[in-house]
Amino acid sequence: MSRPRKLAVNRLRERVAAGADPVASVDRFLARRTVPVVEGRFATFVWRGEADEVMVRHRVVGLPDPLRLKRMPRTDLWWVSIELPEGSRVEYQYETVRGGHREEYLQDPLNPRVAHGPFGASSVCAATGYVVPDWTRPDPEARPGEVVGMRLRSRALRREQELAVYLPARFRRTRRYPLLVVHDGYDYLDYAAARTVLDNLVHRDEVESLVVAFVPPGDRLVEYANHAPHARFVARELVPFLGEQLPLVDAPRARTLLGSSFGGIASLSTAVRYPGEFGALVLQSASMVFTDIGDDHGGGPAFDPVVRFVNAYRARPRRVVERIHQTCGVYEPLITPNRSMVQTFRDVGTQVRYAEARDGHNWENWRDRLRDALTWVYPGEQKFVYE
Amino acid sequence: MTPTPGRTVLLGPQRFLLTAGTVVQQVAPDGPVAVVNAGWQEREADDGELQEVLGGRGSMLRLFARAAEVVEADPALAEAVVVLRTAQHELSALYERRLAHALDALDDLRRAAARPDVRSSGVADAVRALRDLDTWFLDAVGQLYGELVASGVLERSDVLRRHQEEVERLLADAPVLAVAGGHVGELVRLLRLFRVRPRPEQHVVAWSGGAMAMTERVVLFQDRVGDQDPVGFAGAQVWDRGLRRAPGLVVLPHARRRLRLDDPERVATLVRRFADATCVLLDDGARVEVAGDGALPPGTRVLTPEGAVGVVGEAA
Repeated sequence: MSRPRKLAVNRLRERVAAGADPVASVDRFLARRTVPVVEGRFATFVWRGEADEVMVRHRVVGLPDPLRLKRMPRTDLWWVSIELPEGSRVEYQYETVRGGHREEYLQDPLNPRVAHGPFGASSVCAATGYVVPDWTRPDPEARPGEVVGMRLRSRALRREQELAVYLPARFRRTRRYPLLVVHDGYDYLDYAAARTVLDNLVHRDEVESLVVAFVPPGDRLVEYANHAPHARFVARELVPFLGEQLPLVDAPRARTLLGSSFGGIASLSTAVRYPGEFGALVLQSASMVFTDIGDDHGGGPAFDPVVRFVNAYRARPRRVVERIHQTCGVYEPLITPNRSMVQTFRDVGTQVRYAEARDGHNWENWRDRLRDALTWVYPGEQKFVYE
Repeated sequence: MTPTPGRTVLLGPQRFLLTAGTVVQQVAPDGPVAVVNAGWQEREADDGELQEVLGGRGSMLRLFARAAEVVEADPALAEAVVVLRTAQHELSALYERRLAHALDALDDLRRAAARPDVRSSGVADAVRALRDLDTWFLDAVGQLYGELVASGVLERSDVLRRHQEEVERLLADAPVLAVAGGHVGELVRLLRLFRVRPRPEQHVVAWSGGAMAMTERVVLFQDRVGDQDPVGFAGAQVWDRGLRRAPGLVVLPHARRRLRLDDPERVATLVRRFADATCVLLDDGARVEVAGDGALPPGTRVLTPEGAVGVVGEAA
């Protein structure tokens, strides 16, 4: 068996320690590699510059956060190597301290790979084996659907609610379409490539032609945390409104709610308040935090109504939809409650498809899980096609 | 005098290897070629390349376009078709769920610690249960069609009758019927709606999904589901009855791409489940001329009860 090769950063350290020109060596090291340096099951984060402290912030459960980098003697290169299992994807930012001044939320200046979200951008470290799915990228052969803006007056929410509605390519009023309602809808369009994903999956016959309502929240932390007016808006105002405007299949099995994080709670709590109205839920890293004893859930005040809701549901679970597609990243703190809820849902006869990813609480994780979710909830006609 | 029976030739996918034109020319050198390419759905009219391959002899039956015209002109029939489709899909969803449990049970029995003959008996009965499920589904689909016919909505439709008569005339003039692949569910539905039945003496050349539609029962199959492929039902499921021009066969186009042929247990289950038929592989370049008695020519690739790929005429 061949001896495993030393990590590149260790070889660099040895060369510099042996007297090689430190500046030229670091220059050459960085010029030849993408950063973070991924070698087999290891990833090395590197940062170059003057500082007193350099840290990686990543929110990966199981790794120290902050993850402190060491300075390589005789150089201005900081580094830390971690084990990163195959297929992992980690979003991170840097934090530095210099002369007592702390700078946070810094993107990696050496890494052009960036993921965007409503709170800004993060750098991305992709482990060996992770590939951005091809169906998330625009396909020139895929006929695009259309996204149209709509507005409706919501009595439940006491405001005018805007939304974006996706109509699939070849949309025809003589057909009937299933409906998907997406919480944090605009974020799914902006950060999870939802429109491209839909165009591609419909084009490939992997997903049935469907209508998708992308709905943005108002006061998100209130409306998505088991809020009766929100549920009433979705079930009693939005769905009937869309049914009047568009040719939709008028049956619970053709109505699905989707949401991530608090949006997952909004989806689940709406279905719980209106059992039998929806056929399926897609819950992506849903914030299903609960307590088995005491009230220390660790999520802060915003989670109080969520925990009350999830505790109440766990005390008296019931089948409110036929099917749930549930996913969570194994690097998220939410992984444990999500695993627990799978059995809770199954125990009451809900059909659950559960999948985990080596990823975190972020939009690209949710983007990458969309194909599995949509092809399961609304399978296309690919199984019929034999060209 | 009894007419000479027509030839029936089944071909593999034609997307990259266009042999259909040559075969049609061989079986029927003259006269129009009645063509069904309704499996292409919205692309049905996009038939320039196919016409070229057929030497301009194609007499396109345009079943997809006719169906659109019929449902546009006859709302009662349109509504009845929607009801039928919805019911068939709901029925199919139930069938898939039952199949999934039955296949899990079969796997479970195969792994069970038990005396080999006892286990074999359990496995054999689990395979019979799969067959029973297939029969139940096909019977239930037949009942749905029966309800549609009994409703009289088809008979009352003048526009449908006019199209059926036109199709009949086009078919009567053609010594050969060519059936392209595509969406096999749509294809068999439209063949039935417009009463497309090849005459005994009429030659038939059908490829891919078109070949599936020529069998007794259309078997959908997809083993490759999971990380790289879309989620869906993993395995085989019957969908509908075909035209029975090639009886005793289960036709499997794109087998290499869709089936896990390297899993003998899985393949053997498929063969045993459809034991009353021969499972024929129709990959790119395949050409299978089915004899009147259902016999297959030497060289035809088939699945064997041992779960392997065999070749007709070669010793196992």
